[in-house]
Amino acid sequence: MALVEVRDLVKNFILGDEIVRAVDGVSLSIDKGEYVAIMGASGSGKSTFMNMIGCLDVPTSGEVRIDDIATSEMDSDALAELRNQKIGFVFQQFNLLARTTALDNVAVPLIYAGLNTADRRDKAKAKLEEMGLGDRLDHSPAKLSGGQQQRVAIARALVTEPLILLADEPTGALDTKTSEDIMQIFESLNDAGITIIVVTHEEDIAQHAHRNIHFRDGKVIEDKPVIDRRSTKDDR
Amino acid sequence: MIGNFTHSLSAWLVNISIAMTALRTNLMRSILTTLGVMIGVFAVTLAVAVGSGAQVSVMQSINALGSNMALVFPQPDSEGGSRSNFDRGRLTMRDARAIEKQIDGITQIAPQLRTNIQLVVAGRNASTIAIGATPGYADVANVAADTGRFISEADVRSAARVVVLGPSVARKLFGGFDPIGETVRINRAPFTIVGVLESKGSSFGNDNDDLAIMPISTTRQRFAGDSLAGPDDLQMLFVGFEDGVSLSRAKRQLTALLRDRNRVRDNEINPFTIRTTEEFMKETGQVTSIFQIVLVAIASISLLVGGIGIMNIMLVSVTERTREIGLRMALGAKRSDIRNQFLVEAAVLCVIGGVMGLILAFASGFALTKYADFPVPIGLSVAIGAILFSAAVGLIFGGYPAIRASRLSPIEALRSE
Ligand SMILES: Nc1ncnc2c1ncn2[C@@H]1O[C@H](COP(=O)(O)OP(=O)(O)OP(=O)(O)O)[C@@H](O)[C@H]1O
Ligand SMILES: [Mg+2]
Repeated sequence: MALVEVRDLVKNFILGDEIVRAVDGVSLSIDKGEYVAIMGASGSGKSTFMNMIGCLDVPTSGEVRIDDIATSEMDSDALAELRNQKIGFVFQQFNLLARTTALDNVAVPLIYAGLNTADRRDKAKAKLEEMGLGDRLDHSPAKLSGGQQQRVAIARALVTEPLILLADEPTGALDTKTSEDIMQIFESLNDAGITIIVVTHEEDIAQHAHRNIHFRDGKVIEDKPVIDRRSTKDDR
Repeated sequence: MIGNFTHSLSAWLVNISIAMTALRTNLMRSILTTLGVMIGVFAVTLAVAVGSGAQVSVMQSINALGSNMALVFPQPDSEGGSRSNFDRGRLTMRDARAIEKQIDGITQIAPQLRTNIQLVVAGRNASTIAIGATPGYADVANVAADTGRFISEADVRSAARVVVLGPSVARKLFGGFDPIGETVRINRAPFTIVGVLESKGSSFGNDNDDLAIMPISTTRQRFAGDSLAGPDDLQMLFVGFEDGVSLSRAKRQLTALLRDRNRVRDNEINPFTIRTTEEFMKETGQVTSIFQIVLVAIASISLLVGGIGIMNIMLVSVTERTREIGLRMALGAKRSDIRNQFLVEAAVLCVIGGVMGLILAFASGFALTKYADFPVPIGLSVAIGAILFSAAVGLIFGGYPAIRASRLSPIEALRSE
C-alpha cells in the first residue's frame, strides 16, 4: 500500500507579474519501507515538493495523500497533528532551539503530542541514547559538533515514532566523514521499517537509497531503482 | 476529564518555562518592558489606595462628630419654601425640650452655644473655640474626659466657672504638666480646669482636639452677650439617635415639629437648618468617589503606556522568533499552542511587573501612612485585583502579537531568516 501518494501536484509562486512553476504536475507513490532519494539541479523544485509532502505547504492544485488520508480536506490543527504523529523532519541547518539542551530539544514534539514531563524526558533520553548521545543530554547546540547536532535533530524527528522521515539535504552542512555517519543511521532506521525520503545533490548519498527520483524544472524526469546500491556496511 | 486537565496544566507549565527562557535570553529588554508595567500598576494601585484612604479619613472625621445624629442650627434654610419670612434664624431651649419629649428614638440632646475665647495662664495664651454645653454633649458628640471629669448638671445649674480642655489646648498652655485643678483666665475671668478630653486626632489637617468645653449657662452669662436674640436661644443643637433609627425620617419629623412651633406657613422657608450625619456621609462619599475616579483614570494612562510597551516588545519577539515558530509548527504545534505560548510570555512579563509594582505601592503606602499621617490602605482585594489586572493587560496587549504569530504559515515561518 502506498504511504505517500501524489497526484498531479502543482505549486506556483507568484513573483511580481511572473508565475514560477516550482512543482509542475508530479504524480508518484512511495510505499511503506522505501528509501527514496530526490535529486536535481538547484531550483528544480525538490524542496517545494518535500514541503508539500510534509504538509508544511499547501499545493496550488493536485493532491497529497499520507497513509491513505487526503490532506487537502484537513484544517490546520489536523495537519499539525498529522505532522506530529506521522512525519519526522530533518533539516539542512539542523534547526535546533538555541540555549536549550539536547534533551529539551528532542522533547519538543512530545509537548505537542500531549505527554507529561516525565514521559517526555524518558522518551527523549531513550532516543538520544539510541543516537549515541547519552552523554550529551544537557549540552546546548552551541556545545555540540555539526554531526552531533544533526543526530540530536534526527532523535527529535524520531521521538514520536513517525512513519516517514523527511530529510532535505541533511548532510549539506556536514563533511564527508560525518555525512557517512548520518547515512549509516538512516540505513539502520530504514532497516527497522521507517520510510525515508531524502533530498540531496550528492550522487554518493543518493546511492544509499533504494530509489532515485530526478527533478528538472518542477517535473520528474527520471524515477528508477538503485541497482548498485551502496551500503555503509560495504565499507567495513 | 482529569487527564485532560493535567495535560493542559502541563502544557501551561511548559509555556511558562518557554516564556522564562525567552525572557532570560533578552534580559535587559525584559526588565525595561516590565518596568513600564510596574510603574503602571504602582500608579493605579496607589491611586486606588489614596482614594479609599481619603474615604476612610472623611468617614473617620464624620464619626468623630458622633455617629447617628442630627444637627439643628438657627440659620434660615430655603428647603421647603421660597419667601424669606425670617431675617434671622430661631432655635431655643424650649424647642430642644419639645424635640426631646415628642420625637421617638432619641438618646440624648446636646444644646450648645459657641464662642471664640482667649485663655491665659502664667504668661502663656491660646485662643480656641468654646462650646457651651450640657453633660449630654459627651454622649452625643462621642467625647469623654481623659483625665479629670466632664462638666456636670451641677455646673450647669450654678453656671460654674469650670472648663474642660481639648488635649491640644492643654498642651499649649501647660506643656506636659497636669492642668487639673489649675486656674486659667478666660477673657480675664478665672476658670478652674476640671478635665482634659480624650484625643480625637485630626482629620484632613483639622485638629479635632483644639477646643474647650464649659457649661452652657456660663457661656450664656459671660460670652454670648448681644449675639443672641433671646435669653433662651441656642446656636447649635445635637440630637443623638439610637442605632437603627432612620435619620431621613427623623429629619422629616424634626422639620415638621419645628415648623409647627415657629408657626411657619406652607410657602415659607424654615428659620432653621437640619443636617444629619447620614447626609454628610453621602455627600462626602460622592465627592471622594469622584476624586478616586479621577485619580485612577490619570494613573491608568501610565498602565496603558506600559501595555503598549508590552505589545511593542511582543511584536519584536514574534518577528525575531519566526523561524522558531515555523519549527514548532513543523514539529506539531497547533495555532492555539503558538498563540498560548506568546500570550503566556506577555502575561508573565506583566505579572512580574504587577508584583513589583504592588510591592512598590505597598512600600509607598506604608510610608505615607506612617510619615504623612494619611491612611493609604492596600487590602488583599486591591493586591489580588492589581495582579489580575496586570495579567489582563498582558492578555489584551499580548493578544494581537500572539494571534499574529499563530497565523503564520509553517513553511514561510521556517524559511525566514
Ligand atoms: N516562497 C517562494 N516564493 C517564490 N518562489 C519560490 C519560493 N519557494 C521556492 N521558489 C522558487 O521555486 C523554485 C523551486 O525552488 P525549490 O526551493 O523547491 O528548489 P530546490 O530544488 O530545493 O533547490 P535547491 O537545490 O537550491 O534547494 C525556485 O525557482 C525558487 O526560486
Ligand atoms: Mg532545496
